Amino acid sequence: MDDGRLTVSGLSKQYRGVTAVDDLSFEVEAGRVTGFLGPNGAGKTTTLRMLLNLITPTRGTALVGGRRYADLAEPTRIVGAVLEASSAHRGRTGRNHLRAGCIASGLPFSRADEVLEQVGLTPAADRTFKGYSLGMRQRLGIATAMLGDPQVLVLDEPANGLDPVGIRWMREFLRDLAAQGRTVLVSSHLLSEMQALADDVVIVAAGRLVRQGSVTDVVSSLSRDDRVIVETPEPERLLAALSEDAVVTAERSPGGLLISGASAVQVGRAALRAGVLLHQLRSDQPDLEDVFLELTHDKAGIR
Amino acid sequence: MNNLVRAELFKLRTTSTWWVFTLATALSTAVVLVIDCVQAHSLFKTFPEYLALESHGNAADIPPQFLARIQADWQAGHGVLGQAASIYTAGQLIGVLLACLLGVVLVTSEYHHQTATTTFLLTPRRASVVGAKLITAVIVAGLFWLLSTLLSLITGAVFLASEGYGTQLGHWDVVRAVLLNLAVYAVWAVFGIGLGALIRHQLAATVTVTVLYLAGTAASSIFELINTYVIQQDWVLSAEVVIPSVASAVMTSPLKTFTESPPEWVGAVVLTAYGVIASLVGTTILRRRDIA
Repeated sequence: MDDGRLTVSGLSKQYRGVTAVDDLSFEVEAGRVTGFLGPNGAGKTTTLRMLLNLITPTRGTALVGGRRYADLAEPTRIVGAVLEASSAHRGRTGRNHLRAGCIASGLPFSRADEVLEQVGLTPAADRTFKGYSLGMRQRLGIATAMLGDPQVLVLDEPANGLDPVGIRWMREFLRDLAAQGRTVLVSSHLLSEMQALADDVVIVAAGRLVRQGSVTDVVSSLSRDDRVIVETPEPERLLAALSEDAVVTAERSPGGLLISGASAVQVGRAALRAGVLLHQLRSDQPDLEDVFLELTHDKAGIR
Repeated sequence: MNNLVRAELFKLRTTSTWWVFTLATALSTAVVLVIDCVQAHSLFKTFPEYLALESHGNAADIPPQFLARIQADWQAGHGVLGQAASIYTAGQLIGVLLACLLGVVLVTSEYHHQTATTTFLLTPRRASVVGAKLITAVIVAGLFWLLSTLLSLITGAVFLASEGYGTQLGHWDVVRAVLLNLAVYAVWAVFGIGLGALIRHQLAATVTVTVLYLAGTAASSIFELINTYVIQQDWVLSAEVVIPSVASAVMTSPLKTFTESPPEWVGAVVLTAYGVIASLVGTTILRRRDIA
């Protein structure tokens, strides 16, 4: 499935004095869902638009299966993209919007009906776009992207405006596509959603690559072996026993007492030694959100 | 390219755009036809009758200078060939403005409704998209011309026959005016594509086109001022043909549209030059511009 690999190398975009994307390089593999994460203004949308030939890069390349998007003979059969929820004429029906796409890409009208069915929009197919809810607009966007049954799917903030049912639907839809061997690149800042959806992540901030890898690797890279959550009826005695062999600080957290500066092994040993009763003892494992905030905290903000 | 043109035509057909433009074309042609026929009806009279009609029966009180001027007007308009050509191309006055606006809408609606993203994703070769839009604009402008011409032919033939002149359609000058009018429509539509690319804001582009078109009349008085105060030579007045709407009239009229008007081919050259420049500018802009 070499066709579906996305390769971004040395990609930069400068607008009058502002560097939106700065020497960005990463790869996206087929058969996996890749989350493209970054704070607002990190250059995610600009990067995706450069990949799709909508914005001309100042430097560098973004390739689909080794070729520029503009050089693809039948782009709709290779790449489908959902970039903004409101990109259809207000006075045109959903079905006609898709049919126009069929004509332009040399596909039969039956494809319009198939993708409508695929995204569950058939009941609203003959209503005009202005009457669509945000969720329906997202679905129409995905339907448009699926017209050519593409190898690669690129989505910019697709969960925006979706209700919980819609988000669950989207997650399963994208996971299915990846399971079929397709490439799925999804930008988002909904980190819990990304943790549930993505296999790999590419994290950018201030236009630069911060971290790339599988979700598991990236999360475990923020090792927190020295943070432990305990529940005990005698916190003072436990802390006193701990302070004999480590310098620790403690604070109340929703899960229990959060102790920093000692491992779970050390806390367990100290509790045994002092004869303190423990109801719960576990390492404080970071999630994607913790990692993201840790990696991007000094690079976010308005530039 | 064939698919892209079909897609553009389909896009036009599936919104309210086509019938708004069709209705406007039919209505404006009808209004101009009535005016032209009424005018022709009085100009076809003998001069004393015409004078009596124009002066509401007070012909005796008109000073000689004015009388000479009225007579010149009558002489210019009395010829049946000129009147036939002008009636058969009656739709041009507003019709070419509509053709131009159609070109504007073909481009600006992509930005207005943010469909440019979808369009250029489906077809990343942007020059093809612009080419398809140019062809579509010309095809649809041709349909507007057809509608307007059919209305004019029916009304004009009936009117001219009732005045006792027959249809005048046997004269090549008249037929040529009708056919050249098609070319005028096409050039204005192409012109609209270029302007839409230049001014992508739909309302701003629409207003600009309308004002520019209507300002044609005001611009001709500028040429007269230059002729009176700066360069007192006739070619200054002839140079009025650089105004696109004047060029259109010069191109389709078998007679002189104004005293110093240059020959028809000059109008054709001016208008074609505008069309070529507009399509080059439009293509260049749309190919380079980032879609953000």
